[in-house]
Amino acid sequence: MNNPIRKILINIDGTEQSIVAAQYAICLARLCSAELSACYIVNIKALNELVRTGIFLKEEQEENERELETDADNYLRYVHELGMAKGISIIKIRGMGSPNQEIAKLIRERSIDLLVISELSRIGSRRDEFYDENERAMRSSPCSVLVVKNAEYVTHLYESLV
Amino acid sequence: MPFINLLTEQVIRVPLASNNKAAVLRELVQLLKDAGKIDDFEATLKAVREREDKQSTGLEKGIAVPHGKTAAVTSLVAAIGISKAGIDFIAMDGKPTHLFFLLIAPPNLPGPHVAALAEIAQLSRSHDLCARLINANDAKEALKILRKE
Repeated sequence: MNNPIRKILINIDGTEQSIVAAQYAICLARLCSAELSACYIVNIKALNELVRTGIFLKEEQEENERELETDADNYLRYVHELGMAKGISIIKIRGMGSPNQEIAKLIRERSIDLLVISELSRIGSRRDEFYDENERAMRSSPCSVLVVKNAEYVTHLYESLV
Repeated sequence: MPFINLLTEQVIRVPLASNNKAAVLRELVQLLKDAGKIDDFEATLKAVREREDKQSTGLEKGIAVPHGKTAAVTSLVAAIGISKAGIDFIAMDGKPTHLFFLLIAPPNLPGPHVAALAEIAQLSRSHDLCARLINANDAKEALKILRKE
């Protein structure tokens, strides 16, 4: 049987949980000798919606877009460093648009075998199942999805990787 | 983190005691202070006021989303205020505002901040939900409505 996991994509969304997911993906990439990519999708769709509804002023949209781009670069740089520390080179991808749609597009374009996402938020209402971006990415992914849980264990796993 | 997970009964005020815009902002920020969500009342209020000074966050159909960024918080915090009578918040449609969603974010969390505001925008589109919230009798009922939605 061929290795079923040759290309892994991690979704980084500016949360600590997504860094934990990245640590797990690094371990997995080492184990499977898989190519590892990390994406951070700047949620332009949400920014546009906030302007449309009047919650954001145009200047707030622009300011937040800049901050999200910087956030994306910082997180991707950090994840890349995490990979390098364990001998894994990570392809950094900063995208813009609707996160779940862009992630699905990346998976198709790059023939990704496995999407790794962070632990899903506690569902506070039925609405969360539809509007949580991680949840949506999981549902719209054309490939298999791995949801990383147990941060303490994962961090130990990553740190013990030699 | 979903917006709903930022809420507890302690940060929901039904009904609001205030009857004008300045007082509503103070009352909502005070809710956060009383709930132990913020330490610096003045810095938080200043962040919200500065945003309101540029343009009111009073939207249409009785909803307002006052928000701001300040280093006075280290994570997202939120509060909700409900006024059955309605308050003049200089809304886009000129009508009284009944539902107030306050969101305060630290400067270094743009992703979760935008995601939470986008969720509030989604919430505010449900006229049925907003009507039920406005008719809630207390914080417990309002939270129950939000969780069931």
